[in-house]
Amino acid sequence: MAKRVVLLVGTKKGLYTLRSDADRKKWTQDGPYSAPAPIHHATYDPRDGSMYAAINMTWGGSRIDYSRDMGKTWEKSKNPAFPEGSDRTFSQTWHIEPGHVKTPNVVWAGTEPAALWKSEDRGETWQLNKALDDQPSRAKWVPGFGGMGLHSIAIDADDPNKMQVGISVGGVYTSTDGGASWVQDNAQTGGKEDRPDVFYCIHKLLAHPKVSGVRFMRVHVDVFWREPGETTWRNRTEGLPTNFGFAAAMHPRDRATAYAIPLHDTERTAVAPGIAVYETNDRGATWKRNDKGLPPGARLESVREGMHTDLLDPLGVYFGTANGDVWASRDEGKTWEAAARYLPYVTSVHAATIE
Amino acid sequence: MTETVRRARVKVLLHGAYRGFADGARDVTLEATTLREALEALVQAHPSLKERMRDEHGRLRRHLSLFVNEEDSRFLGGEDTKLSDGDIVHVIPALSGG
Repeated sequence: MAKRVVLLVGTKKGLYTLRSDADRKKWTQDGPYSAPAPIHHATYDPRDGSMYAAINMTWGGSRIDYSRDMGKTWEKSKNPAFPEGSDRTFSQTWHIEPGHVKTPNVVWAGTEPAALWKSEDRGETWQLNKALDDQPSRAKWVPGFGGMGLHSIAIDADDPNKMQVGISVGGVYTSTDGGASWVQDNAQTGGKEDRPDVFYCIHKLLAHPKVSGVRFMRVHVDVFWREPGETTWRNRTEGLPTNFGFAAAMHPRDRATAYAIPLHDTERTAVAPGIAVYETNDRGATWKRNDKGLPPGARLESVREGMHTDLLDPLGVYFGTANGDVWASRDEGKTWEAAARYLPYVTSVHAATIE
Repeated sequence: MTETVRRARVKVLLHGAYRGFADGARDVTLEATTLREALEALVQAHPSLKERMRDEHGRLRRHLSLFVNEEDSRFLGGEDTKLSDGDIVHVIPALSGG
Protein backbone atom coordinates (compact mmCIF):
# COMPACT_ATOMS: atom_id res chain seq x y z
CA MET A 1 0.00 0.00 0.00
CA ALA A 2 1.26 3.51 -0.83
CA LYS A 3 2.47 5.47 2.14
CA ARG A 4 1.19 8.86 3.05
CA VAL A 5 2.07 11.52 5.54
CA VAL A 6 -0.28 13.33 7.88
CA LEU A 7 1.07 16.32 9.76
CA LEU A 8 -0.69 17.03 13.03
CA VAL A 9 -0.24 20.76 13.48
CA GLY A 10 -1.12 22.11 16.89
CA THR A 11 -1.74 25.83 17.05
CA LYS A 12 -2.86 28.35 19.61
CA LYS A 13 -6.31 28.17 18.00
CA GLY A 14 -6.98 24.50 17.39
CA LEU A 15 -5.55 21.46 15.67
CA TYR A 16 -4.98 21.35 11.92
CA THR A 17 -4.00 18.40 9.74
CA LEU A 18 -2.00 18.51 6.53
CA ARG A 19 -2.22 15.39 4.40
CA SER A 20 -0.07 14.33 1.48
CA ASP A 21 0.99 11.25 -0.42
CA ALA A 22 4.54 9.93 -0.33
CA ASP A 23 5.66 12.66 -2.76
CA ARG A 24 4.93 15.28 -0.12
CA LYS A 25 4.56 17.99 -2.75
CA LYS A 26 0.93 18.94 -2.27
CA TRP A 27 -0.74 19.23 1.09
CA THR A 28 -4.46 19.17 1.84
CA GLN A 29 -5.40 21.13 4.92
CA ASP A 30 -8.21 20.33 7.34
CA GLY A 31 -9.23 21.89 10.57
CA PRO A 32 -9.25 23.39 12.99
CA TYR A 33 -10.44 20.86 15.50
CA SER A 34 -11.25 22.28 18.91
CA ALA A 35 -10.65 25.94 18.12
CA PRO A 36 -10.10 28.26 19.92
CA ALA A 37 -8.31 25.93 22.34
CA PRO A 38 -4.50 26.03 22.31
CA ILE A 39 -3.11 22.64 21.31
CA HIS A 40 0.23 22.30 23.05
CA HIS A 41 1.05 18.97 21.42
CA ALA A 42 -0.58 16.38 19.20
CA THR A 43 0.83 13.01 18.34
CA TYR A 44 0.15 9.87 16.34
CA ASP A 45 0.59 6.38 17.73
CA PRO A 46 1.82 4.07 14.96
CA ARG A 47 1.06 1.01 17.06
CA ASP A 48 -2.68 1.32 16.62
CA GLY A 49 -3.34 4.49 14.60
CA SER A 50 -4.60 6.52 17.56
CA MET A 51 -4.09 10.25 17.72
CA TYR A 52 -3.75 12.26 20.92
CA ALA A 53 -4.10 15.98 21.48
CA ALA A 54 -3.15 18.10 24.47
CA ILE A 55 -6.01 20.59 24.53
CA ASN A 56 -5.19 23.32 27.02
CA MET A 57 -8.50 25.10 26.92
CA THR A 58 -9.25 28.17 28.96
CA TRP A 59 -12.96 27.35 29.31
CA GLY A 60 -13.70 23.99 30.79
CA GLY A 61 -10.11 23.33 31.75
CA SER A 62 -7.39 21.44 29.96
CA ARG A 63 -7.94 17.92 28.73
CA ILE A 64 -6.46 15.18 26.57
CA ASP A 65 -8.50 14.04 23.60
CA TYR A 66 -7.93 10.89 21.61
CA SER A 67 -9.09 9.70 18.21
CA ARG A 68 -9.25 6.13 16.94
CA ASP A 69 -10.26 7.06 13.37
CA MET A 70 -7.46 9.30 12.13
CA GLY A 71 -8.99 12.45 13.53
CA LYS A 72 -12.53 12.13 12.18
CA THR A 73 -13.95 11.96 15.71
CA TRP A 74 -12.46 12.62 19.11
CA GLU A 75 -13.19 11.48 22.65
CA LYS A 76 -12.19 13.10 25.92
CA SER A 77 -10.00 11.11 28.26
CA LYS A 78 -10.50 11.31 32.00
CA ASN A 79 -8.23 14.11 33.14
CA PRO A 80 -4.97 13.49 34.93
CA ALA A 81 -5.80 14.32 38.55
CA PHE A 82 -3.51 15.04 41.47
CA PRO A 83 -4.58 13.10 44.57
CA GLU A 84 -6.93 14.44 47.19
CA GLY A 85 -5.07 16.66 49.57
CA SER A 86 -2.41 17.60 47.04
CA ASP A 87 -1.54 21.26 46.78
CA ARG A 88 -1.32 20.90 43.02
CA THR A 89 -4.01 20.93 40.35
CA PHE A 90 -3.67 19.61 36.81
CA SER A 91 -3.24 22.69 34.66
CA GLN A 92 -1.98 21.79 31.18
CA THR A 93 -0.59 18.88 29.21
CA TRP A 94 2.78 19.60 27.67
CA HIS A 95 3.58 16.33 25.88
CA ILE A 96 1.99 13.01 25.01
CA GLU A 97 4.26 10.08 24.16
CA PRO A 98 3.03 6.73 22.87
CA GLY A 99 4.70 3.90 24.72
CA HIS A 100 7.11 1.31 23.42
CA VAL A 101 5.90 -1.27 20.92
CA LYS A 102 6.41 -3.91 23.64
CA THR A 103 3.83 -2.16 25.87
CA PRO A 104 0.92 -1.81 23.45
CA ASN A 105 -1.64 -0.05 25.63
CA VAL A 106 0.74 2.29 27.41
CA VAL A 107 0.81 6.02 26.67
CA TRP A 108 2.68 8.63 28.72
CA ALA A 109 1.91 12.28 29.34
CA GLY A 110 3.85 15.14 30.85
CA THR A 111 2.01 18.01 32.45
CA GLU A 112 2.15 21.32 34.20
CA PRO A 113 2.61 21.33 37.17
CA ALA A 114 5.47 19.05 36.25
CA ALA A 115 4.45 15.45 36.63
CA LEU A 116 4.56 12.19 34.67
CA TRP A 117 1.38 10.28 33.96
CA LYS A 118 0.93 6.78 32.62
CA SER A 119 -2.07 5.40 30.83
CA GLU A 120 -2.51 1.67 30.47
CA ASP A 121 -5.68 1.94 28.44
CA ARG A 122 -4.55 3.87 25.40
CA GLY A 123 -5.05 7.28 26.88
CA GLU A 124 -8.50 6.91 28.36
CA THR A 125 -7.36 7.30 31.97
CA TRP A 126 -4.11 8.47 33.57
CA GLN A 127 -2.23 7.59 36.74
CA LEU A 128 0.37 9.75 38.42
CA ASN A 129 3.87 8.30 38.48
CA LYS A 130 4.42 8.58 42.19
CA ALA A 131 8.04 7.46 42.10
CA LEU A 132 8.99 10.62 40.23
CA ASP A 133 6.55 12.73 42.17
CA ASP A 134 8.01 11.58 45.48
CA GLN A 135 11.56 12.58 44.56
CA PRO A 136 12.92 14.83 47.33
CA SER A 137 14.56 16.91 44.62
CA ARG A 138 11.10 17.88 43.35
CA ALA A 139 11.12 20.59 45.99
CA LYS A 140 13.76 22.36 43.92
CA TRP A 141 11.87 22.32 40.64
CA VAL A 142 10.94 25.85 39.60
CA PRO A 143 9.02 27.38 36.69
CA GLY A 144 10.84 28.41 33.56
CA PHE A 145 9.78 31.29 31.36
CA GLY A 146 6.84 29.28 30.08
CA GLY A 147 5.91 27.57 33.32
CA MET A 148 6.94 24.39 35.11
CA GLY A 149 6.25 21.40 32.95
CA LEU A 150 7.41 17.91 32.16
CA HIS A 151 7.74 18.03 28.40
CA SER A 152 10.14 15.33 27.25
CA ILE A 153 9.58 11.61 27.62
CA ALA A 154 12.38 9.65 25.96
CA ILE A 155 11.78 5.91 25.80
CA ASP A 156 14.65 3.67 24.82
CA ALA A 157 14.44 2.03 21.41
CA ASP A 158 14.96 -1.51 22.71
CA ASP A 159 13.85 -1.52 26.33
CA PRO A 160 10.61 0.12 27.53
CA ASN A 161 11.92 0.05 31.08
CA LYS A 162 14.67 2.53 30.20
CA MET A 163 13.48 6.08 29.87
CA GLN A 164 14.33 9.67 30.65
CA VAL A 165 12.13 12.64 31.33
CA GLY A 166 13.04 16.28 30.92
CA ILE A 167 11.58 18.96 33.15
CA SER A 168 11.69 22.69 32.89
CA VAL A 169 13.12 23.57 35.32
CA GLY A 170 14.00 20.36 37.07
CA GLY A 171 16.58 18.58 34.96
CA VAL A 172 16.70 15.08 33.59
CA TYR A 173 15.62 11.96 35.45
CA THR A 174 16.41 8.43 34.33
CA SER A 175 14.57 5.22 35.09
CA THR A 176 15.69 1.71 34.24
CA ASP A 177 12.62 -0.04 35.67
CA GLY A 178 9.76 1.46 33.74
CA GLY A 179 9.28 4.39 36.07
CA ALA A 180 9.26 2.49 39.37
CA SER A 181 12.34 4.45 40.44
CA TRP A 182 14.29 7.43 39.16
CA VAL A 183 17.70 9.04 39.52
CA GLN A 184 18.78 12.53 38.63
CA ASP A 185 20.84 12.49 35.47
CA ASN A 186 22.48 15.85 34.91
CA ALA A 187 26.21 15.17 34.68
CA GLN A 188 27.74 16.87 31.66
CA THR A 189 31.10 16.93 29.96
CA GLY A 190 32.60 19.60 27.81
CA GLY A 191 30.33 22.30 29.16
CA LYS A 192 31.43 25.92 29.00
CA GLU A 193 28.53 27.57 30.77
CA ASP A 194 29.27 28.36 34.39
CA ARG A 195 25.76 29.28 35.51
CA PRO A 196 24.64 26.66 38.02
CA ASP A 197 21.03 26.62 36.96
CA VAL A 198 20.76 26.42 33.20
CA PHE A 199 21.49 22.73 32.80
CA TYR A 200 18.33 21.99 34.73
CA CYS A 201 16.16 23.87 32.28
CA ILE A 202 15.68 21.12 29.77
CA HIS A 203 14.25 22.30 26.48
CA LYS A 204 13.91 19.06 24.52
CA LEU A 205 15.17 15.54 25.12
CA LEU A 206 14.91 12.88 22.42
CA ALA A 207 15.66 9.17 22.32
CA HIS A 208 16.71 7.72 18.99
CA PRO A 209 13.76 5.60 17.81
CA LYS A 210 15.90 2.72 16.52
CA VAL A 211 19.24 2.71 18.33
CA SER A 212 19.24 1.96 22.03
CA GLY A 213 21.01 4.46 24.26
CA VAL A 214 21.36 7.31 21.77
CA ARG A 215 19.99 10.64 23.01
CA PHE A 216 19.97 14.21 21.75
CA MET A 217 19.09 17.04 24.06
CA ARG A 218 18.63 20.77 24.02
CA VAL A 219 19.04 22.59 27.31
CA HIS A 220 18.46 26.27 28.03
CA VAL A 221 22.08 26.76 27.13
CA ASP A 222 23.76 24.34 24.74
CA VAL A 223 22.98 21.02 23.07
CA PHE A 224 24.11 17.62 24.20
CA TRP A 225 24.57 14.13 22.84
CA ARG A 226 24.77 10.75 24.55
CA GLU A 227 25.95 7.48 23.05
CA PRO A 228 25.08 3.98 24.32
CA GLY A 229 26.80 3.16 27.58
CA GLU A 230 27.60 6.79 28.40
CA THR A 231 26.37 8.29 31.64
CA THR A 232 27.12 11.94 31.02
CA TRP A 233 25.81 14.45 28.50
CA ARG A 234 28.46 15.56 25.99
CA ASN A 235 28.32 19.21 25.03
CA ARG A 236 27.93 19.52 21.25
CA THR A 237 27.16 23.21 20.77
CA GLU A 238 30.21 24.37 18.89
CA GLY A 239 29.29 25.16 15.32
CA LEU A 240 25.80 26.41 16.08
CA PRO A 241 25.30 30.18 15.77
CA THR A 242 23.65 30.37 19.18
CA ASN A 243 23.43 28.04 22.13
CA PHE A 244 19.69 28.58 22.58
CA GLY A 245 16.64 27.02 20.96
CA PHE A 246 13.79 24.60 21.43
CA ALA A 247 12.81 22.64 18.33
CA ALA A 248 14.86 19.52 17.68
CA ALA A 249 14.55 16.23 15.82
CA MET A 250 16.54 13.05 15.20
CA HIS A 251 16.93 11.14 11.96
CA PRO A 252 15.06 7.86 12.49
CA ARG A 253 17.60 5.78 10.52
CA ASP A 254 20.90 7.65 10.73
CA ARG A 255 21.97 7.42 14.35
CA ALA A 256 24.44 10.29 14.02
CA THR A 257 22.10 12.87 12.44
CA ALA A 258 19.95 15.39 14.22
CA TYR A 259 18.37 18.76 13.51
CA ALA A 260 18.03 21.96 15.53
CA ILE A 261 16.74 25.48 15.02
CA PRO A 262 18.95 27.99 16.88
CA LEU A 263 17.33 31.10 18.33
CA HIS A 264 18.55 34.27 20.01
CA ASP A 265 18.65 33.56 23.72
CA THR A 266 16.62 36.57 24.83
CA GLU A 267 14.69 37.62 21.73
CA ARG A 268 13.70 34.00 21.11
CA THR A 269 13.74 34.39 17.33
CA ALA A 270 16.17 33.24 14.64
CA VAL A 271 19.37 35.26 14.43
CA ALA A 272 20.81 36.82 11.31
CA PRO A 273 20.76 35.85 8.48
CA GLY A 274 17.38 34.39 9.37
CA ILE A 275 15.62 31.13 10.12
CA ALA A 276 17.53 27.96 9.29
CA VAL A 277 17.60 24.32 10.25
CA TYR A 278 21.01 23.18 11.38
CA GLU A 279 22.02 19.58 10.76
CA THR A 280 24.67 17.38 12.27
CA ASN A 281 25.75 14.07 10.76
CA ASP A 282 28.43 13.28 13.31
CA ARG A 283 26.62 13.31 16.62
CA GLY A 284 26.92 17.04 17.03
CA ALA A 285 30.66 17.35 16.41
CA THR A 286 29.95 19.65 13.46
CA TRP A 287 26.86 21.49 12.25
CA LYS A 288 25.83 22.80 8.85
CA ARG A 289 23.24 25.37 7.97
CA ASN A 290 20.25 24.51 5.75
CA ASP A 291 18.15 27.46 4.63
CA LYS A 292 17.47 27.01 0.91
CA GLY A 293 13.82 27.79 0.33
CA LEU A 294 13.31 29.43 3.72
CA PRO A 295 12.52 33.16 3.74
CA PRO A 296 15.84 35.07 3.78
CA GLY A 297 16.39 37.16 6.86
CA ALA A 298 13.22 35.95 8.53
CA ARG A 299 13.40 36.30 12.31
CA LEU A 300 11.07 33.39 12.90
CA GLU A 301 10.57 31.23 15.95
CA SER A 302 9.89 27.52 16.32
CA VAL A 303 8.95 26.21 19.73
CA ARG A 304 9.58 23.04 21.69
CA GLU A 305 7.18 20.69 19.92
CA GLY A 306 7.61 22.47 16.61
CA MET A 307 9.78 20.02 14.68
CA HIS A 308 9.42 16.38 13.60
CA THR A 309 10.30 13.93 10.82
CA ASP A 310 8.43 11.34 8.87
CA LEU A 311 9.79 7.83 8.21
CA LEU A 312 10.10 7.99 4.44
CA ASP A 313 13.27 7.78 2.37
CA PRO A 314 14.47 10.38 1.61
CA LEU A 315 13.48 11.72 5.01
CA GLY A 316 10.85 14.41 5.36
CA VAL A 317 11.61 17.04 8.00
CA TYR A 318 9.00 19.52 9.14
CA PHE A 319 8.78 22.51 11.44
CA GLY A 320 6.19 25.11 12.34
CA THR A 321 6.65 28.73 13.30
CA ALA A 322 5.04 31.27 15.56
CA ASN A 323 3.80 33.28 12.55
CA GLY A 324 1.72 30.33 11.35
CA ASP A 325 3.91 28.65 8.73
CA VAL A 326 4.63 24.97 8.37
CA TRP A 327 7.83 24.28 6.44
CA ALA A 328 8.58 20.91 4.85
CA SER A 329 11.72 19.35 3.45
CA ARG A 330 11.57 16.29 1.19
CA ASP A 331 15.33 15.82 1.04
CA GLU A 332 16.44 15.27 4.59
CA GLY A 333 16.50 18.94 5.52
CA LYS A 334 18.53 20.31 2.61
CA THR A 335 15.81 22.39 0.94
CA TRP A 336 12.47 23.69 2.13
CA GLU A 337 8.99 24.53 0.89
CA ALA A 338 5.96 25.90 2.66
CA ALA A 339 3.38 23.22 3.42
CA ALA A 340 1.00 25.74 5.01
CA ARG A 341 0.93 29.48 5.57
CA TYR A 342 -1.14 31.83 7.66
CA LEU A 343 -2.22 29.35 10.30
CA PRO A 344 -2.48 30.58 13.87
CA TYR A 345 0.72 30.43 15.97
CA VAL A 346 2.06 26.90 15.48
CA THR A 347 2.85 25.16 18.74
CA SER A 348 3.56 21.64 17.54
CA VAL A 349 4.21 19.60 14.43
CA HIS A 350 4.07 15.81 14.37
CA ALA A 351 4.51 13.79 11.19
CA ALA A 352 2.56 10.56 11.03
CA THR A 353 3.72 8.12 8.35
CA ILE A 354 0.75 6.00 7.39
CA GLU A 355 1.15 2.68 5.57
CA MET B 1 -39.08 19.52 64.42
CA THR B 2 -37.02 19.52 61.24
CA GLU B 3 -38.00 22.14 58.73
CA THR B 4 -38.26 20.83 55.21
CA VAL B 5 -36.54 23.15 52.79
CA ARG B 6 -38.56 23.43 49.64
CA ARG B 7 -36.52 23.25 46.52
CA ALA B 8 -36.93 25.98 43.96
CA ARG B 9 -37.71 25.15 40.36
CA VAL B 10 -35.07 26.90 38.26
CA LYS B 11 -33.77 26.84 34.74
CA VAL B 12 -30.07 26.51 34.02
CA LEU B 13 -28.96 28.04 30.73
CA LEU B 14 -25.71 26.83 29.20
CA HIS B 15 -23.80 29.33 27.11
CA GLY B 16 -21.00 29.03 24.58
CA ALA B 17 -18.48 26.27 25.17
CA TYR B 18 -20.59 24.78 27.95
CA ARG B 19 -23.28 23.80 25.47
CA GLY B 20 -20.65 21.81 23.63
CA PHE B 21 -19.47 20.19 26.84
CA ALA B 22 -23.09 19.09 27.46
CA ASP B 23 -23.42 17.57 23.99
CA GLY B 24 -25.34 20.54 22.68
CA ALA B 25 -27.86 20.92 25.49
CA ARG B 26 -29.01 24.54 25.85
CA ASP B 27 -30.94 24.45 29.09
CA VAL B 28 -31.94 22.18 31.94
CA THR B 29 -34.88 22.66 34.30
CA LEU B 30 -34.22 21.33 37.75
CA GLU B 31 -34.97 21.79 41.43
CA ALA B 32 -32.44 23.10 43.93
CA THR B 33 -32.23 25.24 47.04
CA THR B 34 -28.78 26.70 46.34
CA LEU B 35 -26.55 27.33 43.40
CA ARG B 36 -24.35 24.47 44.55
CA GLU B 37 -27.28 22.05 44.44
CA ALA B 38 -28.24 23.33 41.03
CA LEU B 39 -24.76 22.64 39.69
CA GLU B 40 -24.82 19.15 41.20
CA ALA B 41 -28.17 18.44 39.56
CA LEU B 42 -26.85 19.85 36.29
CA VAL B 43 -23.92 17.45 36.35
CA GLN B 44 -26.26 14.58 37.15
CA ALA B 45 -28.21 15.48 34.03
CA HIS B 46 -25.04 15.92 31.95
CA PRO B 47 -22.13 13.99 33.50
CA SER B 48 -19.76 15.18 30.78
CA LEU B 49 -19.88 18.60 32.43
CA LYS B 50 -18.29 17.35 35.63
CA GLU B 51 -14.64 17.68 34.64
CA ARG B 52 -15.35 20.80 32.65
CA MET B 53 -16.76 22.69 35.62
CA ARG B 54 -14.59 21.52 38.51
CA ASP B 55 -10.98 20.50 38.92
CA GLU B 56 -9.90 17.28 40.58
CA HIS B 57 -10.24 18.88 44.02
CA GLY B 58 -13.82 19.92 43.43
CA ARG B 59 -13.10 23.60 42.96
CA LEU B 60 -14.96 25.50 40.31
CA ARG B 61 -12.70 26.11 37.37
CA ARG B 62 -11.37 29.52 36.53
CA HIS B 63 -12.95 31.25 33.58
CA LEU B 64 -16.38 29.96 34.50
CA SER B 65 -18.94 32.63 35.33
CA LEU B 66 -22.16 31.81 37.14
CA PHE B 67 -25.01 34.30 37.15
CA VAL B 68 -28.32 34.05 38.94
CA ASN B 69 -30.70 36.08 36.86
CA GLU B 70 -28.78 39.27 36.16
CA GLU B 71 -26.38 39.05 39.08
CA ASP B 72 -22.88 37.60 39.20
CA SER B 73 -23.02 34.87 41.84
CA ARG B 74 -19.69 36.00 43.28
CA PHE B 75 -21.50 39.03 44.66
CA LEU B 76 -24.51 37.10 45.92
CA GLY B 77 -23.11 34.28 47.98
CA GLY B 78 -21.13 32.16 45.63
CA GLU B 79 -22.27 28.56 45.54
CA ASP B 80 -24.31 29.17 48.71
CA THR B 81 -26.57 31.58 46.84
CA LYS B 82 -30.20 30.75 47.67
CA LEU B 83 -32.47 30.11 44.69
CA SER B 84 -36.15 30.90 44.21
CA ASP B 85 -38.82 29.54 41.88
CA GLY B 86 -38.34 30.90 38.38
CA ASP B 87 -34.68 31.86 38.80
CA ILE B 88 -32.42 31.46 35.83
CA VAL B 89 -28.88 30.27 36.41
CA HIS B 90 -26.45 31.12 33.63
CA VAL B 91 -23.35 28.98 33.07
CA ILE B 92 -21.05 31.19 31.03
CA PRO B 93 -17.51 31.00 29.68
CA ALA B 94 -15.97 34.01 31.35
CA LEU B 95 -14.90 36.96 29.23
CA SER B 96 -11.28 35.83 29.22
CA GLY B 97 -8.77 33.88 27.25
CA GLY B 98 -7.48 34.94 23.88
